Amino acid sequence: MINKYVKDGIMVVGSRLILGVLFIYASIDKIIQPADFAEAVYNYQILPGFLINLTAVILPWLELILGLLLIIGLFQEGSVLIVTGLLVVFLGAMIFNLARGLGVYCGCFSATMDGTDNAPMAWYVFRDGLFLLPAFYLFHHAFLGKKRTAKVYDQ
Amino acid sequence: MAAAQIIKKIWQAVRQSAVIIILAATAGLLINQARSNSLPLVADWTLKVRLASDSGESMVISIEEAKDLCSNKGAVFLDARSPEDYARGHIRCAENIPWQAFDEYIERVWDKIPEDAWVVTYCDGETCSLSEDLAKELVSMGYEKVKVLLNGWTRWREAGLPVEKGVKQHSRQLV
Repeated sequence: MINKYVKDGIMVVGSRLILGVLFIYASIDKIIQPADFAEAVYNYQILPGFLINLTAVILPWLELILGLLLIIGLFQEGSVLIVTGLLVVFLGAMIFNLARGLGVYCGCFSATMDGTDNAPMAWYVFRDGLFLLPAFYLFHHAFLGKKRTAKVYDQ
Repeated sequence: MAAAQIIKKIWQAVRQSAVIIILAATAGLLINQARSNSLPLVADWTLKVRLASDSGESMVISIEEAKDLCSNKGAVFLDARSPEDYARGHIRCAENIPWQAFDEYIERVWDKIPEDAWVVTYCDGETCSLSEDLAKELVSMGYEKVKVLLNGWTRWREAGLPVEKGVKQHSRQLV
């Protein structure tokens, strides 16, 4: 039993680290170049005009803080809730644009389109779907998982 | 886990989320204010403003003006859509410069644009920004006489104006 708990612990820590590093990495270029990120947000053609700059100013910092919280292990329920929500929203936005044939640049990890990252939107959808796996795992663990810590000490 | 515990966790998550979002908003807004090139929090993203040149003149061209330019060969039209879409049908006087492969195509087409000619970019659909991106890139390269025909392909066909199918010689090697 203890082995199982240890394994679960590694899965949780691993998922947190993967998503934490991912979110921090995704935030850096956007923080450095907010105007270019605003352009990427505009290209998605989803948000109303008055929300585009506000999103470009705040979202990268939200990603950075969430990444740090996931790695440090603070505010776990809150950070897992927002991270999962954000990934679902990002995926939804990509599927929406894929469905209406709008070949916009992803803007996922870089604010600008440098000409080297022009993969089709379907690839981004697949990749974002993969990121949801650790997020859903953490979500399940945070909200629906059993209280394992107490049981470990009961052994 | 009992329902009461789950609800308690959700409330905890909501409270934590509020703190995280407030932290992010505060950091983002403060840093943006401190920047020398801070972003205005609310900006006008309408096409009219986006497609205004530095002098304030609009880059948008009407379908009537575009039709005249095409018929009297006063402009080179640039189709910013993919080579596949271009091959399926395009404005008769248009060359293809897919925005996603701009560097690859521009060299082939550049020589075909007379210095005194206008350039009209277009793509397809109300939300398509490829023609806008292409036009702005040309302007940044120093070309001043650039116009954008919004939702160009659809409006051109609806107006019953001349179209062509297939790929022109210079593009054929690239497709």
